[in-house]
Formats: sequence, structure tokens, C-alpha cells
Amino acid sequence: MRLLILFITTWLLIFSNVHEVNAFNLGSDRFRLSGFGTVGVTSAGKKQFGYHKERNQNAQFGGFSAFNDSVIGLQLDADLISNLTATVQVVVEERVKYDFNNIVDWAFLRYQITPKLVARAGRMNADLFMLSEYRNVGFAYLWAHPVVEFYTPISLNHYDGLDFKYIRPVASGYLEFKVYGGQTNSDIKVSGGDLNLRTRPFYGANASFRTDLWRFRLIYAATEIYSIHGQITGLLDTLNQVPQSAWPQAAELSNKLDGEDKRVSYYSAGLAYDNNFWLVQSEIALISSGWESVNMRNGYVSVGRRFGPVTLYSIAASARTIGKPTQVVAPLVSTPTLSRLETVTRNVFNAPHINQNAISLGMRWDLNPRVAVKAQWDHTWVKKHGGGLLILKEPLEKDITLNTFSLNLNFIF
Amino acid sequence: MRYLFIIVVMSLLMMLPAQAMADIAVIVHPSSEISELTRRQVVDIYMGRTVVISNGKTLVPYDKPENSIIRANFYHRLVGKSVASVNAYWARLLFTGRASPPRLVSDRVMMLETIENKPNSIGYVKFEDLNSNVKMVFRIKVNE
Repeated sequence: MRLLILFITTWLLIFSNVHEVNAFNLGSDRFRLSGFGTVGVTSAGKKQFGYHKERNQNAQFGGFSAFNDSVIGLQLDADLISNLTATVQVVVEERVKYDFNNIVDWAFLRYQITPKLVARAGRMNADLFMLSEYRNVGFAYLWAHPVVEFYTPISLNHYDGLDFKYIRPVASGYLEFKVYGGQTNSDIKVSGGDLNLRTRPFYGANASFRTDLWRFRLIYAATEIYSIHGQITGLLDTLNQVPQSAWPQAAELSNKLDGEDKRVSYYSAGLAYDNNFWLVQSEIALISSGWESVNMRNGYVSVGRRFGPVTLYSIAASARTIGKPTQVVAPLVSTPTLSRLETVTRNVFNAPHINQNAISLGMRWDLNPRVAVKAQWDHTWVKKHGGGLLILKEPLEKDITLNTFSLNLNFIF
Repeated sequence: MRYLFIIVVMSLLMMLPAQAMADIAVIVHPSSEISELTRRQVVDIYMGRTVVISNGKTLVPYDKPENSIIRANFYHRLVGKSVASVNAYWARLLFTGRASPPRLVSDRVMMLETIENKPNSIGYVKFEDLNSNVKMVFRIKVNE
């Protein structure tokens, strides 16, 4: 599957150089096919500490990989009747699981109710970040990959539901409001193994204002964990079976580890400035939940400067879990089995905790109007017990630093 | 090193739009109820920011091929961006399902024919190529 992705991506890269960006008409003005892709090489991670830029990807444990950044996407747009269009987008990239749910990124109907109001229904992007709607389209943004500290914690590409967007001119810009609701279904990888995570309802509202130079965004979203399936389910069952007399804390620990039925709220603010020479972008976010594994705050600042087709940029980013891991008190009865269970439980509480900062330096070079090459170096400081964004083969018992190098070609057609 | 320097300089030069250029006329079908557009409206239509109704239908913009000089000048004069930057901008809108980029016509003749035959279309040509079968609604002056 991985080689197939690489082969198709390379083929499309060559193909993109002989076709215009504005999509194929497919013999009619009503149907348009367009696409995007990235072919890249990444050096990342260490033997015991795996790196991935999205939680729905497998991790890289050192060395070079052509799969962490590589992605291909195809989109078909169809004008069905006046003011009603249909869009289907298929994205193939490194994933924990390759199935229909993961490959069909979007499939929705879009209806222009009035010139200022538009409604969509189907599978759509979860609009939680500045880049969230196009994080797979490398050509559309500056960096070699989305900022790990900000974009990795929520690797949610889509949701199934409905949204309404209202836009109106105000002063020298446009004010936009969006409300949405639906449900999500994600396959992700964490240090404890693969997880299938379903949330519903998933809903939120965005407000943004943009002018020719500026963009401001405020985002609120909330959801309830509907189900979690993975290795953690076995641990919860085991904890629930431990007699209270042997380990009084076991039931409480199980309840704290169990995310089901717990609510998660997300608040974010973003700012971007682009005067065609200087590009500045910053986002901050707060995740608040009764499920302690996901409480966190994060943010970044990115500054870039264009020199003709070349843009040089730098990023500073930080991500930190709010609060400390629950203190696991030893069982009253000492047996080898309970002792192992205590160790595993303590590690599972510690593993999701995030405490890392990074600086990045990079370059984007627009080779032609459809192809850009990007290179980026990330230097990341991960604190002891703060490796929640990594895939850990062993508990992180000391501070570590990681260097990630990315080189990729991005194209659209 | 010397070759690298030459490649960088050549690439920088290729990004600059040609300076020797005539005024550009933004045109619609002669029956359109639109008689004049402001610069902001033209920017909004070509950057997919807003929907404009003409003859009861959404106005559909048409574009020249990306290697054409008039296209580079059109966007450079309107929004100060290179064709690559405009493409990156449109990639954000297209691949988020927000809007489709302007449709392509191959040359000046096709642009004029399209606008003449499609009542809800909008396009652009060199001012000197204007004819009586289309209506100019905005003029981009080279020396603005």
C-alpha cells in the first residue's frame, strides 16, 4: 500500500506539469476533477521514541522515511442543479488503518441558499484550525508540514454532519460565521496501541474576519466521547475486576482512564497577516475535559519573508498538558500480577502527558505556479513524562531533544 | 556556486510580471444588469470571496492560462500576488469545497466568445481587444 501511494504520487507529480491547475472539465462544465499531492522524505524520531505528524499515522523511529509526509488527493466537483454542487475528495496517505472510512475524506452537497448563506451536508472537514480545512494540501500553506505541537493533538480530518456559513461585508473586510454539528469516527495511534475513537454529538461555531492583509478567527467546538475501542479497554476491564480490598484505588483509576461519555471542549484563536512580503501566523488553543488525558493548551507563532519565489520562515511552538497525572497509589496486597498492573496503569496515566517546545526553520520555493519544494528543520525539546505526542516504546524518564528534517515536493493539478 | 547564483536570479526574474502591458478590461455579457463593478467587487469575484448575481444566476468568472502575461498582470494589479501565490490561495478554497477557481479559456478569442455566449459570465481582455459584443464593467489601468 505504501509503495502504491509513493508510485501514484510520483506519477501525478509528473502529470501535474503538463496540465493546468484549474481542474479537468471531464467533457462538461458541470464536472471538474482536481488533485493535490506531496512527495517527501523525513528524518525523524529515535529508536525508542516514535514521531508522527498526525495521530492517525504510524510512527517513525529514526532513519529516513518517504511515507510520513507523502500524500495524494483527488477531488471531483459536480454542479448538479443551480446553486447545488456535490464534492467528493479521496485522500490516500500513511494511515493507521486503510479502509473506506479513512480514505474518503469528504463527500458533501453544498447549497447556496442566498449569496450570503451556504449550507453543506455530508462528510466535511472539522474546521478547528487555520489549516484544518487544507492540512493535507501542502501546496496551499507555507510550512513543510503542519506544526506538530498544535495540529497533532487533534488529528481529526472530517466529521459527518451539517454546517451553515453566513458571510457579509463589513468595513474593508468580510465577517463570517459558521455553525456545525455531527459526529466523528477516527482511527488513531497512541503509545498504548491503536484506538478507534467515536464522538457524538460533535458541534461548534466559528467567527472570522478577514481583509486583504489580515485574518482573525475564534473557534469553539465541543463533543462527547461516544466509544473508545483498543487495548485500553482490556486494562479498564482488568482494573474493574480487582477487589477493592486488594487495591481500593483501582475502580477510581479505571473511571479516570475511561473517556466514554466524557465531554471535551475546545477553544481557539488565530491570527494571520500577509502583505505579500511578510507572512505572520499564530494560533493558541485550550482543550478542557473531564477526561484528564486530553486537557491541554498549545500555540505557535510563525514568521516568514518572501524573496520572489522563495520564502524563508521560522516557527516557535509549545504544547503542554494542564495538570499533573493522577498519582497511582500502590495496591494494599503485593502480588506480582498486581505489581505489573500498577506499573502498566501508572505508565498509561503518564504516557498521554505532553510537555514539549520546538523551534523550526524552513524554506518554501515555488518552482512554478503548481509545484513548490519545501525544506524544514524542527528542533524539539520534550520534557520528562511529557512525550504524549510521541509513540513511546518505553516510559520517558528524562528530558530529550529530537531533530526532524523534512524535504518535500508539493503540487496541485 | 556560480550556476546556483544564476538559477536563483533567473527564478526571481521569472516571478516578475512583464511591465510592458496594456490596460485590462473586465467584461460581461452585454445583456447583464451589471453596468459597473468596483475594484473590490472584481477582486471578490476572482478570489472567490463572494457570490454576485447577474441575470438571475451566479456570475461565473473565466481566466486565462497561467502562463499568459495578461493573467500575471491581472492578478498582480488586482491583489499584488504572483500566479503561484494566487494558485496556493485557490488551492485552499478549492480543496476545502468553498469555491471553484475561475474556469479556463485558452486564448483571447475563446475569452471573447465565452463572454458573448454566456449571459452570466465575466472575463478580462486587453483594453485594445474590446468589441461591441461584450460590455466593460471595470478597467485596470497599467499606470495606476
